[in-house]
Amino acid sequence: MDIFQLFISAIFVNNIVLAQYLGNCPYLGCSKERGVAFGMGSAVVFVTIMATLFTWLIQTFVLIPFGIEYLQTLAFILVIAALVQFVEMFLKKLIPPLYKSLGIFLPLITTNCCVLGIALLVQRKQYSLGTSLAYALASTLGFMLALLLMSGIRERLDTCRVPKALKGTPIALIMAGLMSLAFMAFRGMAA
Amino acid sequence: MPGTLWKEFSKGLWKELPPFRLVLGLCPVLAVTKSASTGLGMGMAVIFVLALSNMIISLVRNMIPQKVRIACFIVISASLVVAVELLMQAYAYPLYQSLGIFVPLIVVNCIILGRAEAFAGKNPVLPSLADGLGMGLGYTLSLTFLGAVRELFGAGTLFGAPVMPSAFEPFAFMVEAPGAFVCLGLILASMNYLNAHMARRRGEEEPENPRSGCMACGACSRANSPAQQ
Amino acid sequence: MASILRMVAVLSLLCASSGFLLSYLKMTTAGRIEEQVLTYVQGPALAEVFPDAENVPLTERHAFTLPDGRSVTVFPARKDGKLYGVAMENSAPGFGGDISVITGFDASRDALIGIGITTMKETPGIGTQVSDPSFTTQFRGVSLPVALSSGGGSIDAISGATISSTGVVDAVARATEDYETLKEQILSRWQ
Repeated sequence: MDIFQLFISAIFVNNIVLAQYLGNCPYLGCSKERGVAFGMGSAVVFVTIMATLFTWLIQTFVLIPFGIEYLQTLAFILVIAALVQFVEMFLKKLIPPLYKSLGIFLPLITTNCCVLGIALLVQRKQYSLGTSLAYALASTLGFMLALLLMSGIRERLDTCRVPKALKGTPIALIMAGLMSLAFMAFRGMAA
Repeated sequence: MPGTLWKEFSKGLWKELPPFRLVLGLCPVLAVTKSASTGLGMGMAVIFVLALSNMIISLVRNMIPQKVRIACFIVISASLVVAVELLMQAYAYPLYQSLGIFVPLIVVNCIILGRAEAFAGKNPVLPSLADGLGMGLGYTLSLTFLGAVRELFGAGTLFGAPVMPSAFEPFAFMVEAPGAFVCLGLILASMNYLNAHMARRRGEEEPENPRSGCMACGACSRANSPAQQ
Repeated sequence: MASILRMVAVLSLLCASSGFLLSYLKMTTAGRIEEQVLTYVQGPALAEVFPDAENVPLTERHAFTLPDGRSVTVFPARKDGKLYGVAMENSAPGFGGDISVITGFDASRDALIGIGITTMKETPGIGTQVSDPSFTTQFRGVSLPVALSSGGGSIDAISGATISSTGVVDAVARATEDYETLKEQILSRWQ
């Protein structure tokens, strides 16, 4: 598959948050400030790519040869949980500045369905390792884009008068709906 | 004893209704509510996993060393999710197809780990089971409700049966992604409004709107705190 | 030290018991799962393609290997004791994802018997119209190769769902390619 088309498709057409409904918790929870959104976004990009790499290797060299693909979910979530731990320890020891900016987001990522979701999606789509990694990068960039756009909107929303019942999550969800509607216009550009 | 069990069970139905009041486990809420029946099916799967994981975790809670408890919770819930996947493929294949990737994703649903951490890890078996069943039932009802609303307006049917007059033109917006977001937002807003209204009638102070997302759930906020220190 | 040993022991015990239980569950459900997949995915489409088959094409299926190493499952249909058609599944990208189509070929001449859609992720109410009889019956008896009327063929695309319609025709074209490669082998097996 054309790599350019893959990127357009994963970032705009099938945006992981706005069209595939994955990673909504951080999308709504971490989009109050741009700095936090950027930190969360980059942590997700980093961990998802690592997780996709390791889960792809596990699927191809352990699960399929032993005929235990049905344990996929169990194996993947354990790999991701362990990976997040290692990444955290590794960053803490070796790259403290990066740990400072990403550290607090890492523990939250184990239960981010974006990471496991992408790892499972590339298996269902039966991508090769290279395509899988490209897909993981593109999808998480799409996640980051949605997160940054949302945080920009929400920073302005703070100065607006919103009906009390709609404050907080409800208005954020409606914003997400409108953004998703806008992203629907990309449909048909790539499958 | 039955009184406390009922309390643990019923809190999941209104006071701590998972998706609408605690605002967690949102991804499947949005993704699988294109119709009432998929919402119901997803809810059943969650009830199964949540009730059993709460029960098992509560049974083994004294054997699990504190440091690896999250890992143990993950192993238990992931095994149950794999079991659900297999059973669903064997006995409800059409449902398995329509839920797609969201069946394995039950394992990262904040509700499962959240309840394990906040309740089942500290309480005896029966209350944990009641808590799991109540939360699961509340989740199922919410999913079915949202699914019914979206299906009614988006396709003019309810559980697949046509209910709208023939002059009704379904608006596809509701069954697409934007409809899911807007619909859920409006439901949350009406819940907030209703609660504020009820609090006013009781003469209490109006409650704050519930905070959003995983940040509010037990497992995440705990996992978060050591890193912040 | 004792606490580390205990941690390792508990975790391994947990993993071992869950692995044991799951493999038992897998063993007991394996037969039913395979049957369900065939009944719900390929079954209805096959019935649409061969409404008057006297055998059950599902149970007589056989997997052939293409020269490029891919494997294709072929379903034979008999009438009056003779092979009259074979069907195979193939997929091509539509609007929302891959569209999988079962294409039935006439064994006596180079023509289609009919098609049936197995899986698709098209927009409900718009792209999903490709599985309506008004669209699929157009393929009955069409001689090969198949193309949309805009491409010089005889199939009219659904207005408003051109991409989905093209996806179906592409899937049929891919199946045609496989059929022509395997024709000799297929006919010699069942005739």
